[in-house]
Amino acid sequence: MAYIVSIHSFRGGTGKSNFTANLASQLAASGKRVGVIDTDIQSPGIHVLFGLNEAKMGHTLNEFLRGECTITEVAFSVGENTGDAEGRKKLQGKLLWLVPSSINSGEISRVLRDGYDVNRLNEGMQKMIKELKLDYLFIDTHPGLQEETLLSIAISDILLIVLRPDQQDFQGTAVTVDIARSLDVPNLFLIVNKALSKYDFKQVSEQVTSFYDAPVAAVFPLSEDMVDMGSADIFSLRYPDHIWSKALREVAQKIMEVG
Amino acid sequence: MSGIFDRLQNRLEVQKREQGISAIELADLPPNLRRIMRMMLRELAMKYPDIVKAVDALPEAQRISRPDLDQALDMLVEQNWLARTGDGDMTTYRVNLRRKSGSSLDKDIWSALDSRITTSKDTPALSKPPSTE
Repeated sequence: MAYIVSIHSFRGGTGKSNFTANLASQLAASGKRVGVIDTDIQSPGIHVLFGLNEAKMGHTLNEFLRGECTITEVAFSVGENTGDAEGRKKLQGKLLWLVPSSINSGEISRVLRDGYDVNRLNEGMQKMIKELKLDYLFIDTHPGLQEETLLSIAISDILLIVLRPDQQDFQGTAVTVDIARSLDVPNLFLIVNKALSKYDFKQVSEQVTSFYDAPVAAVFPLSEDMVDMGSADIFSLRYPDHIWSKALREVAQKIMEVG
Repeated sequence: MSGIFDRLQNRLEVQKREQGISAIELADLPPNLRRIMRMMLRELAMKYPDIVKAVDALPEAQRISRPDLDQALDMLVEQNWLARTGDGDMTTYRVNLRRKSGSSLDKDIWSALDSRITTSKDTPALSKPPSTE
């Protein structure tokens, strides 16, 4: 059985895409067949972490949604195109695919102007699971609540909500948790990211758990090293001994335990 | 004549699709209907006997009796949230999600944006990839 893992944040800038790319990479590195789909059609970004740019990008999710290609034609094999980045090179030969959204400004404006068939998006995700024989499909969503985000929550087996220790994030996350519960998501985990090192992480975890009555999978420090990398590589593969990477592997372990 | 019929048929199909369910409406459904819709979203299309089998395999507390299941399926079809084709054991159900509507901004605004995009295509790309969240 394949597991659909949706990664969501109520506000932008939580580090959601970076977290998603790292988590997917960890599972792929451990031998799982993993797909990542970027449904953040308005502001795609996760492709950067997998070393993809506009010049290298073939078909995109936008073309699939218009019926111009199949979902497997869009799927970019990360394991066959790792490039020179030290972290990504560790994915050589691994079974990890990315379905990117277009970063062409005309394509983005077109999808905003015309809308799209949500049935086709759902079909694409389910076909991707079947045809690529995935163990896990990660859905990277646009922050906030909208059609593709809600769909991804509705179909997911595991929902990870990324938030920062910030009052605005706290309130917005409460809305998402309520919706996830009303959509019967079987497994919900909270991820606290960008916590200042002066905080007591255990205390943060307990407070957040009790506030939402939902488990915190991990608390991640605000890492200057990660900011410095600027999404140029998969951080947890490049620096496996870093505290951030260790916390990430804990989350990967929790996801695998669900299965 | 067949052209007119085809166009009419297509229009009806489009209207049906436009009346589909949105993801937010799923959250407001009663538990039995929501359970069926979640299952259908994952399977895309299911034949009636397969739905019965899947419902029977649910944990006891979530199981739906046959009359309740039939009633729920009828209701979902009536709302155009599920599409039904075929008869008897060959009856197939498929989820009908509402299309994400396009922008309601004036067409002139989009034309102006399109021409700006075309003009700026020669703008050199950033040498360093922008950071992502």
